[in-house]
Amino acid sequence: MVKRKEIFIFLLLLILSIFFIYVYNEIKTTKKDIYARIEAHQIEQTSAVIKNIQNEFISFLNLKNSNDLRQAFSDNKNREKYEHIISLMLSSNIKYAYILYKDDRDKFRFILDASKIDKANFYQKFDVNETEYINIYTTKKPQIIKQKEIENLYITVLHPIIVDNEVIGIFSVDMTSDIQKTILKSIKPLETFFIILIIFILLLMIMTIMQIFHYFITRRKIFTDSLTRTFNRNYLEDMSSILNLTHYSLAMLDLDKFKMINDTYGHKGGDYILFAASKVFKNSIRDSDILVRYGGEEFLLLINNRGANESTLDICKRLKNSISKERFFYDGHEIKMTVSIGLHKHPYLEKNLQEAIKKADEVLYLAKRNGRNRIEIYDEKIANESSFSSKNISFVKEALDEDRVVCYYQPIYDYNSGEIYKYEALVRIVAKDNTIVGPYEFLPQIKNTNIHYKLTQRILHVVFEEIKRSKKDISVNINFSDLANKDIEESIVKHLKSNPDLASKVTFEILESSEVDDAKLFKEKTNLIHALGAKVSIDDFGSGYSNFKTIIDIEANYLKIDGSLIKNIDVNIKDYKVVKSIIHFAAQSNMKTIAEFVHSKEVFDKLVELNVDYMQGFYISTPKATLIEKEELFR
Amino acid sequence: MKIFISILFLILVTSASEQKYAIKAQILEKVFANISIGKDFIIWSDNKELLFELKKSKNFTTSINCENATMIILEDKKNLEKNCINKPIFVLEYNLLSEVSQSFGAIFWKKGRPNIIILSPRAKKLSIDISQKLNEYVEEKVW
Repeated sequence: MVKRKEIFIFLLLLILSIFFIYVYNEIKTTKKDIYARIEAHQIEQTSAVIKNIQNEFISFLNLKNSNDLRQAFSDNKNREKYEHIISLMLSSNIKYAYILYKDDRDKFRFILDASKIDKANFYQKFDVNETEYINIYTTKKPQIIKQKEIENLYITVLHPIIVDNEVIGIFSVDMTSDIQKTILKSIKPLETFFIILIIFILLLMIMTIMQIFHYFITRRKIFTDSLTRTFNRNYLEDMSSILNLTHYSLAMLDLDKFKMINDTYGHKGGDYILFAASKVFKNSIRDSDILVRYGGEEFLLLINNRGANESTLDICKRLKNSISKERFFYDGHEIKMTVSIGLHKHPYLEKNLQEAIKKADEVLYLAKRNGRNRIEIYDEKIANESSFSSKNISFVKEALDEDRVVCYYQPIYDYNSGEIYKYEALVRIVAKDNTIVGPYEFLPQIKNTNIHYKLTQRILHVVFEEIKRSKKDISVNINFSDLANKDIEESIVKHLKSNPDLASKVTFEILESSEVDDAKLFKEKTNLIHALGAKVSIDDFGSGYSNFKTIIDIEANYLKIDGSLIKNIDVNIKDYKVVKSIIHFAAQSNMKTIAEFVHSKEVFDKLVELNVDYMQGFYISTPKATLIEKEELFR
Repeated sequence: MKIFISILFLILVTSASEQKYAIKAQILEKVFANISIGKDFIIWSDNKELLFELKKSKNFTTSINCENATMIILEDKKNLEKNCINKPIFVLEYNLLSEVSQSFGAIFWKKGRPNIIILSPRAKKLSIDISQKLNEYVEEKVW
């Protein structure tokens, strides 16, 4: 919008400046025209006077030839008489009036000089150079000399003195440029005004050009990722409204195991790989394709499908192969990289670009889950069977990039000791307006997307750091699908193996739901957690498809009873009985119980009555940004 | 003819008054290049600006006093010292040709145009040879 406005102003100024230049030019032309008219008028008037005077003295002095002319004016009386007559025509504009005679050696001499100043003697030689002095003898017609070289003289009018068709002398009148100067003086303010106006408009035009230039520079900066020199998400947001998705296929690209590069070689190493990989991407795509760094090691590629000789899948394959073939060297080490790609061939079928990105991200997640270094293509038929929320996932992506993902901590209370047993970490996103956004507003939207496991990794990082800092026990929620993710697993192993103290203070709260369809894999993962020295808690127990055998098999440390069973326990006898059974089952299976959603004293008392091990809920404390102490409970 | 064209050119560019002395000096240089006084030109002038311009010439030298000069360029009759009165004099006013009998030539502006006059009888009297190239400026007497 800014660009259009600036260009409009620039064009307006351009038209204005052309108009004013035209007006200025017209004034100049008019000035010249006035000069010409005055000049013609002056010449006409002077010529008429000269003609009358010369007719008078030719007849009075009875002149027949040039010798007669010389003889007649060699007489002082004649000369004085006619000098007096001729001097009457002198004015501020007519400076000199004199009669010239050409002698037998073709030298011009003053025969009569009526000038008041710089008066010449009779017969004094006069050096003239203009050809008009010669021409007048052949043409026998008045000659006008425009005096450009002579100071204070504007024009010289040469009038032939003709007797019997012979030129016997020249009547010469020199005019000054006084009138022209006066005209120039009166027009000058107008000219100056237009010059200032034109300069002002030109300055405005320069400023506008600079603004447009600045706009494009800023736009380039805003829309370009400084590290990879590809477009960034700002560009995508800006162009999403005008992007015609029918012309593109959409691919999400994610460098595999990139976190490991960062962990091994540091951020500089990671940046280098990102830079080098983006170069490979750029070399593998065409000019008509648009590559965007979508965040971290994730890229978005809009593949132009108009008039393409190769399919979008072929381009994705080329990208994948180029990256895997490329040998990256950093700090003397050779680094092999691969890329996982989620391809949506027909993004125009989606409601908008964001929705298309989400779908491509979902299949990228699949590519990751299915072993990385592969391309997964989005299948619209399958997709139609499931419904996804269309909420913008870039909200989470931006929060990750801008480090706005935080954890709030809710204490888990031990009634028997009266102490805080541990805390549950609950994810929050600090929105750009500094409001705190809870997980229900964004977690459903990123379910089954690549961004979900990135969020999980970030939460784990935040929690691990908090445990290291506070030395307190903290539970962290994790989906089974996240736990099955190789990157997350590697991250957990890496952190806990090297830090047993940290491991002993972490509890992974795994959601007990229909997702846990592979009991064997579930057991494998929980065994790994146990082996690392961390604890396992089954979250929301009693709400889903509770499989008691699986729960017993995995040997969880805690059973967290679902809030839906707890919240009405003081009034609902059935819930009371179910909770009582769960507590009994847990005790029998050597598991501790945690009741969540303890929102009132009545519920709290019922749970005390049932001898539940630990409790959490708003009655005890709401989640806080920091780890609170027991003195702050029940407020 | 070449001399005439050169002088003509100089005459044509007389518009700039601030360059008047420079132009006068150049015209004089052209004139003096075509006359012979039987000895080297050592010029003195009562017009200091003109003398300064003439000093730049490679063809003749200048003098700070008229005694050592072989050619005098005079602007004001009062400035002519007695012991220099018999030296060849080139004047800068037409009327000075009449007033200073030793003067043999003049350069002056008449009605805005530069004019040159060389008086042949006086030149002859002073044993000054005038080249034919200056014929169009030669006069027999002062009018």
